[in-house]
Amino acid sequence: MNFDIIELFCIAMFFIAFFGLITSKSMIKSVVFMSLMEMAVIMFFLSIGFRSGLFAPIGVNMNPDYVADPLPQALMITAIIIGLSVTAVTLTMLMTLFRKHNTTDWEIVKKKSAE
Amino acid sequence: MLTYFVIVPVLTAVLLYLFSSAKSGRVLAILIQTGFVGAAYYLFTLSRQGEIITSIGNYGGILGIYLRADNLAAVFVLLTAIFFLLASIYSFREKDGSMFWFLIFIWQGALIGLFLTRDFFNVFVLVEVVTMVVAVLIMFNRDTRSMYDGMIYLLVNITAMKFFLFGLGYLYRLTGALDMATITQVLSEADRADQILPYALIMTAVALKCALMPLFSWLPKAHGSPAAPPAVSAILSGLHIKSGVYLFIRFQDVFAAVAATEFFLVMGVVTGIIGFIMAMSQNDIKLILAYSTISQVGLIFVALNIPDPYSYVGGLYHVINHALFKGCLFLGAGVITKVYGTRDIYAIRGVLRRMPWIGAATLMAVLGIAGAPFFNGSISKYFMVAGAPELIGWVMVFMSLGTIIVFIKYATILFGSAPKPSEKEYPILPEQQFSIFVLGLLCCVTGILGVQTIQFLFQTTVYVDFMGYLEKVLIFFISLGVGYLIYKYFVKTSALLRRVRAFELGFREICASMGVFFAMILLAVGLA
Amino acid sequence: MIYAMLVFWILTALLIVKERRAIRIILYFGAFSFITAICFFLLGSPDVAMAEAAISTFATIFFVICVEKYTNLQIDEAEKASDRQEDKKPLTYHLKKFLPPLGFTVFLCALFIHFLPDNTVNTFLKDQYVERFAFDVGGENAVTAIYLGYRVYDTLFEALILVITVVAVSHMSWFDKTSVADGRRSDIQRSGMAVFTIRIIAPILLLFGVYLIMNGHISPGGGFQGGVAIASFFICRYMIYNIYDISIDKIIRAEKAVFVVAALIAVAAIFLGVWARVPAAYLDLYQGTYLLIMNALIGVKVACTFIVLFYRFVAIERL
Repeated sequence: MNFDIIELFCIAMFFIAFFGLITSKSMIKSVVFMSLMEMAVIMFFLSIGFRSGLFAPIGVNMNPDYVADPLPQALMITAIIIGLSVTAVTLTMLMTLFRKHNTTDWEIVKKKSAE
Repeated sequence: MLTYFVIVPVLTAVLLYLFSSAKSGRVLAILIQTGFVGAAYYLFTLSRQGEIITSIGNYGGILGIYLRADNLAAVFVLLTAIFFLLASIYSFREKDGSMFWFLIFIWQGALIGLFLTRDFFNVFVLVEVVTMVVAVLIMFNRDTRSMYDGMIYLLVNITAMKFFLFGLGYLYRLTGALDMATITQVLSEADRADQILPYALIMTAVALKCALMPLFSWLPKAHGSPAAPPAVSAILSGLHIKSGVYLFIRFQDVFAAVAATEFFLVMGVVTGIIGFIMAMSQNDIKLILAYSTISQVGLIFVALNIPDPYSYVGGLYHVINHALFKGCLFLGAGVITKVYGTRDIYAIRGVLRRMPWIGAATLMAVLGIAGAPFFNGSISKYFMVAGAPELIGWVMVFMSLGTIIVFIKYATILFGSAPKPSEKEYPILPEQQFSIFVLGLLCCVTGILGVQTIQFLFQTTVYVDFMGYLEKVLIFFISLGVGYLIYKYFVKTSALLRRVRAFELGFREICASMGVFFAMILLAVGLA
Repeated sequence: MIYAMLVFWILTALLIVKERRAIRIILYFGAFSFITAICFFLLGSPDVAMAEAAISTFATIFFVICVEKYTNLQIDEAEKASDRQEDKKPLTYHLKKFLPPLGFTVFLCALFIHFLPDNTVNTFLKDQYVERFAFDVGGENAVTAIYLGYRVYDTLFEALILVITVVAVSHMSWFDKTSVADGRRSDIQRSGMAVFTIRIIAPILLLFGVYLIMNGHISPGGGFQGGVAIASFFICRYMIYNIYDISIDKIIRAEKAVFVVAALIAVAAIFLGVWARVPAAYLDLYQGTYLLIMNALIGVKVACTFIVLFYRFVAIERL
């Protein structure tokens, strides 16, 4: 099989975050794990086609063989900003829910919301 | 040209928020929506002559982003425009006006963008926009329950989009492109084994958007959230869920080599059956409608995955029909719950007598969704079954039997004697009656003129076999009888259903089910 | 180098999984983001690294405020109740509890790796972008060229997400009004040393932000990264004078107005394809001006967004 070592790290991170999402009781932790999952994907995007010795794609008359791929970088800036927006919104919701239920436990919030 | 269909609503949203007062804002909003329906119709007529493609910025090759409007996209845009106009008319006097219109217009723009775009990463960005907007709209009234519903909706959908993004990374590495048309072309020559992983990752996200079986649990929370504005529930259930179906159709085309049609067909059957069992067990009228959406999506998935043009067209037509009757039912339910002050199905009686117009529209929608002869549901169901193999045909008949039972239960609110109006009567606003009745009437019109509507929308000539249709009518009445008996002797009294009713997954379980679905699809494609 | 960093990266994530105290989770998360930013830099993406560093600062601030106010710096509320009982349980109990999800995750991971595609990287689009961006969009930074030129349509929606975020954060909060009384003093305890340091750093931050925006098209950075730096300047200002004297309402309106202007400029310059009709002699000037203006507008917009978010979190959510 022909794979990249960075890619394996990203997959490991993705599934660590997944494990966190399916086990953590705390809402705050869930939000953190969502960020982790996103970072795994972003790292994977940036590692596409990367090998050591590539430069940042900045300059004039560059040779495509010696610079990193600019497209994933442009895409990932967008993804990072979306991630922050989601974090900010979720934390606001979390705080409002906390004020009502006085807990950040998924189970308890679920039970109390159903009432 | 196509960019304006996306940019104009978005800019309108921001400008309305900045410059208008609550009163002038809503008048402007309705006017702009009306104009937009005209524009969408114009786009539709243009698209009948051939695919329209817009390259943003005219950069050569596939460097820029492309938008395209083929027949399918144009139909969805037209549906979006009409649906948003009616929903806007309905919520003409929504409180917190400028905020509401801001979100509604962005929602509309982003949905249309989703239908028109030909770029994979653009799909990701737009889905995120839509998800954020919908989450805010669900908790628009800041009720505790809807706060939780909105949070689940947001987190689950964003997590699913991480799967999508990961799959997109593999897709980009394989094809070196983000443009759907180019990717389709490259993939048709690529090794099948390389496509399995991106397909599974991307389809996990899409299946969550469509609420396929293990991934359905967020939907009733979001669509049936008690305090969400009725127009929002209607758009969510009628139109928004179809964006997932639309993406599914598109991505199945892109990944033609690995497309797991049998797998999705089976999932559709499972979704449909569990959906109506859940719907049957509910007592909250909004939740009944929300769970029934799940079962209808299952039905649509079955139809879309049968390799037969009749079933496919029937499925597409059912997408539109479902938007019409579910929109009508949700908007009607909004008024009904306000007037009666309760959402309990057993406490509401005599809607027809108390609000004749809304009652009549609801009745038409119920007949439509149940597939009564001369209503739109019967036409789409006829075509879906007509193209299906014998066995799947009977499965679909069984699924519509479930729908019939659910809506016998729902229709009980229409009859009986109305309680005496209380002192503080909730006023039934004329514009709400208008938009509900228009939707109900459309259910009837698209039923009687079914074949012509299909011809008009999809340019596919279909024929209704008279004897076959008569057979379906017969099956409908038999199902109606059986359904009534089941309702009377099972649904009303069953203790089992009471246990089903309380079934609800939390966030962690939904995430785990995402993993389960991912494993399932990976194995289904990998071992095929 | 990169591999060593990636090992640390995984280790911090494992620490987060294991940790129960909310405040420590946030600290580890800060470290995690920092390592991530370094990795991004090592992967030849200074733009993304800068964005990540800037973003993670804010994300950590938000988390800290959330945790400080709502879990009281103690063990996370959710874990607290079960904590006392569960610590006494034997090891087998913990194994039983964590083995199924762990096994499931490992199973998924194994499936994932089993189906890993082994294709070579397709550089079709990369080659074209690197060769043509200088002519098509201008500037010397290929990332900015894609971000503001080829894919400005995406960038508009990204800016729109920030607009929605501001609206959502103000709407969904338990606090109904959009701003607190102007000029109210905060209750944060500050040390003199910290204020002194911040006084020195603040102007540098502002300068840095403006530099990033102005040179976004020829060097790493750009509107987004610069905007965040400028927002940090306002945060420093808040820390020095310790007073809420910025009208959030006005900033929210300004942010939306800037968004409209940026969208209109993008439509006029890119969507309508005007760049293709500019005479060759003026093309450089035209493209340079466009990139500069867009960078500046996005910078202002992002700065507004982050100031609003910060004030919401610090001044209102901490009440």
